[in-house]
Amino acid sequence: MRGEAVEVRIAGSAVRAYGDESLAAATLASGGRILSRSLKYHRPRTFFCFEGHCSGCLVRIGGVPNLRACQAPCSAGAEVEGQNAFPSAEIDLLGAVDFLFSRGMDHHTLMTGSSVLNKLANKVVRQLSGLGKLPDVAAAELPDVHRFDVDVCVIGGGPAGLAAATTTSRGGRSTVLVDDQLRPGGSLRADPRQGRQLAETRWGEAVQAGVTVLARSTAIGFFPEDDGGVLAVSAPDRLYRIYARQWIWATGGYVVNLPFPDNDRPGVLAARAVGRLLVDHGILAGDKICIVEDKGLESDVVALADALSGAGADVTRIPLADVSGTRGRGWTTAVDTKRGKLDCDLVAVAAIPAPASEGPRQQGCTVVLDEAAGGFRVVTNELGQTSATNVWACGDVTGYRGAAASAADGARVAQNLLEARR
Amino acid sequence: MPGKIVLCRCEDVTLSDIEHSVSRGYRDIEEVKRYTGFGTGPCQGKECLAVVALQLAQITKQNPSAIPPFTSRPPLAPTPLKLLAKDPGAHRFPDDLGDDEGEA
Repeated sequence: MRGEAVEVRIAGSAVRAYGDESLAAATLASGGRILSRSLKYHRPRTFFCFEGHCSGCLVRIGGVPNLRACQAPCSAGAEVEGQNAFPSAEIDLLGAVDFLFSRGMDHHTLMTGSSVLNKLANKVVRQLSGLGKLPDVAAAELPDVHRFDVDVCVIGGGPAGLAAATTTSRGGRSTVLVDDQLRPGGSLRADPRQGRQLAETRWGEAVQAGVTVLARSTAIGFFPEDDGGVLAVSAPDRLYRIYARQWIWATGGYVVNLPFPDNDRPGVLAARAVGRLLVDHGILAGDKICIVEDKGLESDVVALADALSGAGADVTRIPLADVSGTRGRGWTTAVDTKRGKLDCDLVAVAAIPAPASEGPRQQGCTVVLDEAAGGFRVVTNELGQTSATNVWACGDVTGYRGAAASAADGARVAQNLLEARR
Repeated sequence: MPGKIVLCRCEDVTLSDIEHSVSRGYRDIEEVKRYTGFGTGPCQGKECLAVVALQLAQITKQNPSAIPPFTSRPPLAPTPLKLLAKDPGAHRFPDDLGDDEGEA
């Protein structure tokens, strides 16, 4: 399930890992916990989303700083180091800043009373702040630029995007699909009711239908001023310029945290990340797991709790309103609730994912903040058209609906695109 | 002392920082972003924009639909600069857009 065994080095130690998993998954499975320290208070930081969208797992890999461990494959000999801490991420003396400013720090008024003190404070702060250190060596080769001219470009390779791209390609439109993850499939790989096998099948069907699937390829910006509009897409070894007649945004939603005291403690992971580790990698991330849940996610949480229990974990569900804090030195060891302290070794936060709508916004699509949708959802008409010409959207980016309903939505919107007047 | 409620983990921005910003008169999402720095770290708001915007709606007693997002700018994800080095477009400035250019 986890691919071919390889050896990687994590914080100086040799670790057995598997070719299909990310360096983040390998680090977690081998007992690695704290990866870096936060920018201001030097609070411990580590994995949260396992989807390449938070900043939790930024590490130094092979002498290059600020890389996301969850989006780096386990290739033989890969070397991972923590960053942004002195002397190490586990024991960081600068963590004292967090205690000294326990009520918070307003940098606008910090040491501005005396100009001498202010200059000194600025010098110190400049030494402490910033992320990572420069790479060991300059890039040996510059990546090439490739151009695509297609009928349809689908952004996002989750359930909605894979279904949409397969549909447009079968309908005779040349289609390229870009997906930022190590392997396409999106939330299918995190939902116990869907699964890794289904993700592989849907990916295979898209390729079979003639879709050009670009994995590990991230849409980094839309530039309307360039020849009618170009989507810039970054891959590990190249840049793509994509020109398309029609665009379908299927970027889904970003997992987010819920607001409770010490919600950023390591060991507090997104529930979808805990699901992804189990469903996609066969890794049970904790033995005693507390699921802190927001309203409106009942069926998702039940499915995850059942799967985790089935894998041998002791699972407790707690509504957000009952949580008053977390405890632990470094990794979380307990959650404080209305009914008292609850020991655990992992907290899974189930919040409605926030629609990944900043790409569509660059293309001129109207969005609206909607609590039930999880954030700024892309506004579409009944066909799936956005407010921008030739731009469509489907799945969770238009408001949270879950993996199965997103797949159906992707196929429906793509069919509407095929039937629309050219 | 209760623990910090962190809304933006990249920049260590807490719920009380947002409340403090509003109390000082910076209530608009762009103002709150500039005052607290939320959404300006490596994730560029993926984890915090919706969360902060919904909290801001509550604090300022506004209908969420009245709150716009802050401006979205490229790059949408952490991007090594070397990826842009060979792209002709990356070497142009807005004034040059009318000029001829070769494709890579």
